[in-house]
Amino acid sequence: MLLNLSAGFFENIVTIFSSSKFMEMILEGLKCTLIVSLGATLIGVILGTLVAIVKIIPSKSKLMIIPNFICDVYVTIIRGTPMALQLFIMAFVIFAIRGFPMELTAILAFGINSGAYVSESIRAGILSVDIGQTEAGRALGLPYSKTMSKIVVPQAIKNVIPSIGNEIIALIKETSIVSMIGMYDLTLAAKIIGSGQNLATYFAPMVVVAIFYLAIVYTLTFIIKIIERRLRASDRR
Amino acid sequence: MTDVKPIIQIKNVHKSFSKLEVLKGVSLDIEKGEKVVIIGPSGSGKSTLLRCMNLLEVPTMGEVWLDNKLLTKPCKNLHPDLSVKELKEYYKQNSININKGRAEMGMVFQHFNLFNNLSVIDNMTLAPVELKLKSKEQAVSDAEKLLERIGLLDKKDVYPATLSGGQKQRIAIARALNMNPKVLLFDEPTSALDPEMVGEVLQLMKDLASEGMTMVVVTHEMGFAKEVGTRVIFIDEGIIKEENTPEEFFANPKDARLKEFLSKVL
Repeated sequence: MLLNLSAGFFENIVTIFSSSKFMEMILEGLKCTLIVSLGATLIGVILGTLVAIVKIIPSKSKLMIIPNFICDVYVTIIRGTPMALQLFIMAFVIFAIRGFPMELTAILAFGINSGAYVSESIRAGILSVDIGQTEAGRALGLPYSKTMSKIVVPQAIKNVIPSIGNEIIALIKETSIVSMIGMYDLTLAAKIIGSGQNLATYFAPMVVVAIFYLAIVYTLTFIIKIIERRLRASDRR
Repeated sequence: MTDVKPIIQIKNVHKSFSKLEVLKGVSLDIEKGEKVVIIGPSGSGKSTLLRCMNLLEVPTMGEVWLDNKLLTKPCKNLHPDLSVKELKEYYKQNSININKGRAEMGMVFQHFNLFNNLSVIDNMTLAPVELKLKSKEQAVSDAEKLLERIGLLDKKDVYPATLSGGQKQRIAIARALNMNPKVLLFDEPTSALDPEMVGEVLQLMKDLASEGMTMVVVTHEMGFAKEVGTRVIFIDEGIIKEENTPEEFFANPKDARLKEFLSKVL
């Protein structure tokens, strides 16, 4: 039984890679996954940085109370509710407009979700820089903004990169739920290839698609490692 | 009021951290060229007092003056005769921007606090260049002279992580000196050092003292207080308990708590 399955398995793998129809399906799904991941990462990092800045600035002035409150509510709600639910609300409530591009809906949903986690990573990274660094900068007469931009942030980035990388990896894999709002991504491609009209077995297409996800994540890990190594230059002992 | 004012004036400064009152009304004048040593048991408020001088801690009450310029908000209790409007005017006339004030006084920390992301030379030139006190070339050549003086010119391009504690602290002092400060504040500069390295840092401080630098030093080094100090101050429970020349201070302590303190540390 197992032998039969595995014999069929390798044949099916070959079939998938040699059939232009199946490869097209996979590549189309890959395109969707990459577009959503990339767009969401961009929005997530920008939004996360803005929220982190609002939360980190010492809020002496009353003007900062409202943005601070908004950011707190944002992070609480996003982190406290399931991603799939947020995606549904985006697709079926907020952007339930005929003809509104699905990719954009998904990018916004994942980007807004990601921003909440990224903001916390950045905040933690900035707080992890010894307060003495800030004090030394201020004691020399540097204004707060200069102390942050020249001293604290460059050190915080080193601490932040690994956790943001983590967040992006999680985001890429999480995009596999976009088929729930009817989008054709890598995961859905595997499901369709494995369906009755096509191969009528799920094992091989799922493994093929898994390899695609792995390849994306592995490439990303590699890039993050290079960036990290460059940033660690000042840690040489 | 006389025309010549002390370089640092602390007027009835109070500092509370939420409910804990650390400073309970400290007044202190520091003249140009003085070397004031502040000692006291841990938790007495001596570091807080020093940090109030450059407003790393903002006093909850009282005033801090640097070279005839007001750093804090004016304290109402110190000007009972002024109306709210006059007080505002007084503030406008006498105050300077805190960053400007801080640039005029150097601070040396217990844990050095060299900028980890910058090389030694960048550590020393960042602030003077950013604040446009010196041109880049001037700042670098001054920094190199200072490094040569402390014998660390060969370290100018390395990052702080590669240095020993004593080297870090001497560079931290040099970094402060590159701002050409009017006064140097030392917050337990030798407390985090290996015993072997205390000497090199104290020697540099002694050299600076003999050149006429105005210094305020919080320390546990009684030898330094005796040898270099022109005035020694004992702080306990948030107030100045005793203040005297080093000779009198150590030979003839009057306060009971000071006597006990000295019997433990000497």
